[in-house]
Amino acid sequence: MNISVNGQSRVPPGFRFHPTEEELLQYYLQKKVANEKIDLDVILEVDLNKLEPWDIQERCKIGSTPQNDWYFFSHKDKKYPTGTRTNRATAAGFWKATGRDKVIYSNSKRIGMRKTLVFYKGRAPHGQKSDWIMHEYRLDEITNINNNNNINDTHHCMKVTSVRSSGGDLVQEEGWVVCRVFKKKNHLKTLEINPINKTSSISLESHSSSISMLDSPCDHLHHLGHDRDRDHDHDHDDQGALEQIFQIMGAKSQNNNNNNITTKSSSQNQFERYMKLPNLESPNNNNSSTLLVASYYQTENDLVSMAKTETTDPNNHDTVFNTEAAGLMSDWATLDRLVATHLNSTQTTTTDTIMHYHEHDHDPLPPLRSSSSTSSSGDHKIYHTTLDNENEMIDHLWSFATTARTTSPSISLGIDPLCHVSDNGI
Amino acid sequence: MGDNNNLPPGFRFCPTDEELVVHFLRRKDDLLPYHPDIIPDLDVYPYNPWDLQGKALSEGNKWYYYSRKMQNRVSDSGYWKQMGMDEPIMSSSCRKIVGIKKYYVFHIGDPSNDVWTSWIMHEYRLPDSGSSSKSTSRKRGNPKLDYSKRVICKVFEQRNDDDDGDNDTELSCLDEVFLSMDDLDEISLPN
Repeated sequence: MNISVNGQSRVPPGFRFHPTEEELLQYYLQKKVANEKIDLDVILEVDLNKLEPWDIQERCKIGSTPQNDWYFFSHKDKKYPTGTRTNRATAAGFWKATGRDKVIYSNSKRIGMRKTLVFYKGRAPHGQKSDWIMHEYRLDEITNINNNNNINDTHHCMKVTSVRSSGGDLVQEEGWVVCRVFKKKNHLKTLEINPINKTSSISLESHSSSISMLDSPCDHLHHLGHDRDRDHDHDHDDQGALEQIFQIMGAKSQNNNNNNITTKSSSQNQFERYMKLPNLESPNNNNSSTLLVASYYQTENDLVSMAKTETTDPNNHDTVFNTEAAGLMSDWATLDRLVATHLNSTQTTTTDTIMHYHEHDHDPLPPLRSSSSTSSSGDHKIYHTTLDNENEMIDHLWSFATTARTTSPSISLGIDPLCHVSDNGI
Repeated sequence: MGDNNNLPPGFRFCPTDEELVVHFLRRKDDLLPYHPDIIPDLDVYPYNPWDLQGKALSEGNKWYYYSRKMQNRVSDSGYWKQMGMDEPIMSSSCRKIVGIKKYYVFHIGDPSNDVWTSWIMHEYRLPDSGSSSKSTSRKRGNPKLDYSKRVICKVFEQRNDDDDGDNDTELSCLDEVFLSMDDLDEISLPN
């Protein structure tokens, strides 16, 4: 049966197609694989290679209710006749699998698998990640047949008559998958629920990789520039995002310093300063992004100075310092990531400001040596004289960074891990 | 619910605010036929939110029913306390107000000595001005009934973890981490 008759949708107002994973696998995909008739053509068959993600919402529209997710059947074709890899390239880009496949259970019985894919624009390996996500569901071949008997147990699948086709047919049709496509939302919601887990899992990997704290947000801003068609849902979240970042940082640094009362109080003062950062979206503020970047520098320096304060204990000078530096390192990578994802998911009006900087600055971005390398003595007053003037920070951001690089990296007592991009290697 | 619509599995009653007001409230108010007639009219009976099961239309963890606009919604165990401001519901096609949405929280006890709960109510009503004169002209059946005071209530219990409902279209925490790890693949490490 067709979903719309004479342009009139058969789906009554107020109803939305929002199947559970069980329903997708045990009703829709099961029937598709068994070549059975499905009451209503809610899930169309599409050729994934010929459908760009932004065309999916028009193509796979169901009824008149606004949708956040779209569904279709797709037949997996092999990329190479002999291989097992699937060809998921379109004219404009390609779908790339991410993470690990998830097992889907129904009544604690395994019924299928879910693969998560992300759409990249362009061609591998230079694709540009988009916000389009696809969940690709496939049936387990064995449960395909075995589960037919207990399908009637689940209330969702009351209408399923037993699948009569033989196992041979199933093997032939095993290429069918059912897909759900949606646009990634701001992940801050997830962060709110469990900021600690998120932080720790990210910092696990960050130890092994040196990421430029400037490069990643800027990349994302560039990416944004190409990506004008994203939605603007998250505008009001900006303030919250920054606050969360600082909260996490604050919590982390308090942990680090919880046996040193003086440092703790000074770090609180320092973080309070950032709470007054302007809202990213504030329309009158054209250089708020720059401010944000500036705050990176500032904050890093403050952290360095905090780390240095820690070292005032003469007895275990080196050990304390090193552990502090390592801890801060993970904090910074985490912050990078948080800000990067945040920027990635928000189209700011200030994008152009950064890109402008980028265009006129033909040198590669100066590696971000912390300005602490200007001082070998550990006297952290230097930073404060440099940093207290915020405007100066903004105006001379790039020259500042360059200066930071050219000044001799004379400090070698464990600050190196703090330099996120290091041209002499870490 | 919704079985009488013969919809295949996977369809849920998840109306937008506009649909609730324009399709269900407005049409019922105007005594126009509408389909599907699935939202029951509980009139002014003051149910506790946890007693709605089986009486109101339930979908997921939400309940829908028609009621009347009331000064105070008091049940035998508590009352609905208004929070926030009235929110206009705009039509998506033409920029005009098609309804008003009010928010309530259920409190156990009476206002002098109460405990708030996580039960939330959204009360939808038609806009006050303009519509009343228009709708009275159509009410040829029983002009004494004041249909303009009809409302739709949506009641649900707020949960911290949105474990059912829309989270299928969100990435899991783990997926987010994997996604950000994909970014790392593309950054070549300086040697």
